[in-house]
Amino acid sequence: MQMSEIKKEDKMPILSLKQKRRIKNGVIHLVLISLSFIFMFPFIWMLFTALKTPAELLAGIGTLLPNDPQWSNFRVAVTTVPFFLYLRNSLIIVFFAVVGTLFSATLSAYAFAKLTWPGRDTLFVIMLATMMIPGQVILIPSYILYNQIGWLGTRLPLTVPYFFGGGAAFYIFLLRQFYKGIPRELGESAIVDGAGHFKIFIYIMLPLTKPALLTVSLLTFMFVWNDYFGPLIYLSNPDHWTLALGLRGFQTQFTGRYDLMMAAAILVMLPTLILFFAAQKYFIEGITFTGIKG
Amino acid sequence: MAKRKKLTLSALKKQERVLGFVFASPWLLGLIIFGAFPILASLYLSFTRYQMVGLPTWIGLANYRSLLFNDSIFWTSLWNTFYHVFLSVPLGLFVGICLALLLNSRIRGISIYRTLFYLPNVVSIVAMSFLWLWLFQPHFGLINQVLRPVYDFFNMEPLGWYRDSSLSKMTIILMGLWTAGGSMIIYLAQMQDIPRDYYEASEIDGANSFQQIIKITLPLMTPSIFFNFIMGIIAGFQVFAVAYIMTQGGPGRSTYYYGYYLFDKMINDNNMGQASAMAWILLIITLIITLLALKLNKYVFYLGEQD
Amino acid sequence: MKKLAYLALLLLISFTLAACNREDTGDRTVIEFWHVSPVGSDSYSGMRRIIRDFNESQDDYFVRGTGINFWDYWDKINIAIASNTAPDIGYHTLDNVIFRAGNNALYNISDLIREDIENGVDTIDVSVFSENQLEFATYDDDLYALPFSATVRMMFYNLDLFAEAGLTEDDVPTTWSELYEVAKQLDDVSGNTINVLGFDPSFGEGTYHQYLWTAGLDFFDEDLNPTLNTDRHLEILEWMYDFNKEYPRSVLDAFGEANQMLGINPFAAGRVAMMVANDGLYETLRPLEGQLNYGVAPIPVPDEDGVRVNWGSGFSIEMYNKNNPERREATWAFLKYLMDHDKQIELSDTLGWLMSNIPAMEEYAEGNPILEAFVNELEYAVDKVYVPYAPNWHAVDWVQFFEQGQSSALTPEQVLQQARNLYIQKRENYEAAN
Repeated sequence: MQMSEIKKEDKMPILSLKQKRRIKNGVIHLVLISLSFIFMFPFIWMLFTALKTPAELLAGIGTLLPNDPQWSNFRVAVTTVPFFLYLRNSLIIVFFAVVGTLFSATLSAYAFAKLTWPGRDTLFVIMLATMMIPGQVILIPSYILYNQIGWLGTRLPLTVPYFFGGGAAFYIFLLRQFYKGIPRELGESAIVDGAGHFKIFIYIMLPLTKPALLTVSLLTFMFVWNDYFGPLIYLSNPDHWTLALGLRGFQTQFTGRYDLMMAAAILVMLPTLILFFAAQKYFIEGITFTGIKG
Repeated sequence: MAKRKKLTLSALKKQERVLGFVFASPWLLGLIIFGAFPILASLYLSFTRYQMVGLPTWIGLANYRSLLFNDSIFWTSLWNTFYHVFLSVPLGLFVGICLALLLNSRIRGISIYRTLFYLPNVVSIVAMSFLWLWLFQPHFGLINQVLRPVYDFFNMEPLGWYRDSSLSKMTIILMGLWTAGGSMIIYLAQMQDIPRDYYEASEIDGANSFQQIIKITLPLMTPSIFFNFIMGIIAGFQVFAVAYIMTQGGPGRSTYYYGYYLFDKMINDNNMGQASAMAWILLIITLIITLLALKLNKYVFYLGEQD
Repeated sequence: MKKLAYLALLLLISFTLAACNREDTGDRTVIEFWHVSPVGSDSYSGMRRIIRDFNESQDDYFVRGTGINFWDYWDKINIAIASNTAPDIGYHTLDNVIFRAGNNALYNISDLIREDIENGVDTIDVSVFSENQLEFATYDDDLYALPFSATVRMMFYNLDLFAEAGLTEDDVPTTWSELYEVAKQLDDVSGNTINVLGFDPSFGEGTYHQYLWTAGLDFFDEDLNPTLNTDRHLEILEWMYDFNKEYPRSVLDAFGEANQMLGINPFAAGRVAMMVANDGLYETLRPLEGQLNYGVAPIPVPDEDGVRVNWGSGFSIEMYNKNNPERREATWAFLKYLMDHDKQIELSDTLGWLMSNIPAMEEYAEGNPILEAFVNELEYAVDKVYVPYAPNWHAVDWVQFFEQGQSSALTPEQVLQQARNLYIQKRENYEAAN
């Protein structure tokens, strides 16, 4: 209604384009701010819980604000376990997992998206099917497999499979969707120019799908970073433990210290958060194909 | 000139048949080396009695027969899971897309907003569940406190949320929407690939923002919508963790999902054989539904495949 | 790009550097011990000391301990047992020892004891353990594990709340009718809000099977057929549901939710005056010493033919079969060390558990009336039976039905009937697979 009224008076605009944009942005801000409260709430609650004293926790989690913020809870979480050793272990595993996933998922996704080869569609469905089997039932056979090849107690089961598409079905499918969106002419003209598929892959596909690669890296990072179960069952030496596993120790049988538990949880999630914040600006700076007609 | 090009193209076609395997080889090799044995082993175990100690013994179809014909909880859990999938997938898509559209604006502070909306995905599921329990409590929870005027207006009893067996599944679905920011980043990534001149052209044609969304953004987002749709189905059928932490499958098995039952079979009954059989039944169900869903692929608008 | 390669190289170097930095063990026999005292836990230093003392006390064996937090320990050890990569020694649950013993996963402890006797070496005196616990560690007349901890359930009562209601320790109930009478005097209700509840049979660790036992009944007969179909079964279930029936369900629900919101044990919060719980609650209450006066008593029994009994669970300590005589010998030496009288006291102090060695616990508890009461109750502790077709009969299988009865979604008759049907169905399916 309002829109059309404004349109009618196009000849003599009451609101300049700039003002219109300002109003529109104001509305968006308003919606975003009110919504972000809902989405921020879990984190705020975690933070406040982490800052409470045990006595306050006993008095009830009904109050939100801590009376006397216990920043020392974070220090306790950092000092009672070899925090930096665990941090390094986590980084090692995450690094190889991300590199491995990027390597295997991009190549395989290209095969599924841009190449025609026998059995492709069947294999694509098989790939989807591997995600449909609940992980619990292949856990023990996998464990036995790694035991047979002597990888138990090392970081190999937690890193090497990523180079072979381990857990990458999700990312392969995701990247396939993005590659299929890259205009065909780009590849065809390159082929006419004598470039092979590897060149197209490296010089066209990868640079043009940076936001997607970033998404894949971020999701892999998060998954591997937060995974305590893999390290739990495959690692034997506590010196190889990761942060996610090492900080689970705060939930012991008798002393359910929620304050320390939340402090530890925040410490685990903080790197992911920082990474996300740093990475998200690339989403908006994504590649635009100017000059290419669809 | 034209002749040479034709030859090259047919040679390229042949080359592609080989290159396809070369490019897919990391994943293919992984499937053969690391994937095939565990997957086939679980298929084998589904025909055995295996208690996770000692050796499995072959019992033919007994596990499948028990599950399908003499197990009331099996069907309850399957129904609960279907309910969850059919509601949570469309709702999740809707909320995720809306968030992404909202957060694709080029306004000041957008990076902060994006991070905030993504926050629930970073928070540990245990911490999240504690919070949800606290928020949704029928008598003291914040949500019912806020809704009190509404209840009073309609003169109705406050909703029991997860404590009410007719609402518990819906409550868990609602909670799942909190993490819709997870699919949001995939949509956002896709939106950056939409050529800017499409919008410029439509602006010249006098289209407003809403029309642009309907005519340009949404159609060009279909590849990632399709992706989230398929993945939503696959993940939805395996829903389990939230119910495990929050409701322990209750009240009255109303949130006892298929994945939960499978877990109990394995961990609490030491019945790996039946758990494996359940996994393969689930695989078949999910596969059938996914294959149907894949038919929608023809409505997906891949920019790279338009002429 | 260069930076990235540099980073990769750096990480690779640290990767290889971290590969090997474990203790030099010389030519000792090295064995693995998994426990639940990980780095960062309260019991970590105590457990490390106990292991180190063993390693320093002799030159033949070396124990490598790995602490895994309590919640994750079970996943880790069960997967390891399934794939024959279990440690040499570790904890498990006592009530299903026969399951692992029957599948040849464990060393025969009786054999080891017999060998010691033949060789004239000091061995473990099994008479220090409770009969019932030993029974659960026995398979085919031989021991395949030893009881390690002993959990006991008792009724905690809050003396401060007793005093407020004009009651003393002499009024602590022993029968169900006394329990009801005292509980009602302790109820403190204003309007639609319960401030203090005297007692509720389902709070804490009050379980239906526990109350059945006190009435001489059980879920299963001797052949493990489900019972649950007698009038007395129904009466006891109704007793549980109706104990506080004068309060509407919504009022009781609100009370339960308030407890949940507090995130603390309702007994510790002074909101329940009497509650059935295990010795873990004693550990929870330790920081409140001086602020909360309480005692523990045997769980009240039915007025007629009541049986003094409590659900006593416990962890076992097991030697996993590695088919390696040297490691078997080393593990046995370490097990004997752990089960030693003084070590049991040290372990109890470290872990905050009651240990299975009764004389040691009697010595440890001396002068502490609460602990003494727990140790006295050990001989009345009975573990729940292992039902192969429904190993978790008391938890997952039963609880869903029990709760539906509580919320009146099912009548007590339906609860029992449906639970019984589930057990029968499970048994049919189990037998079909055998």
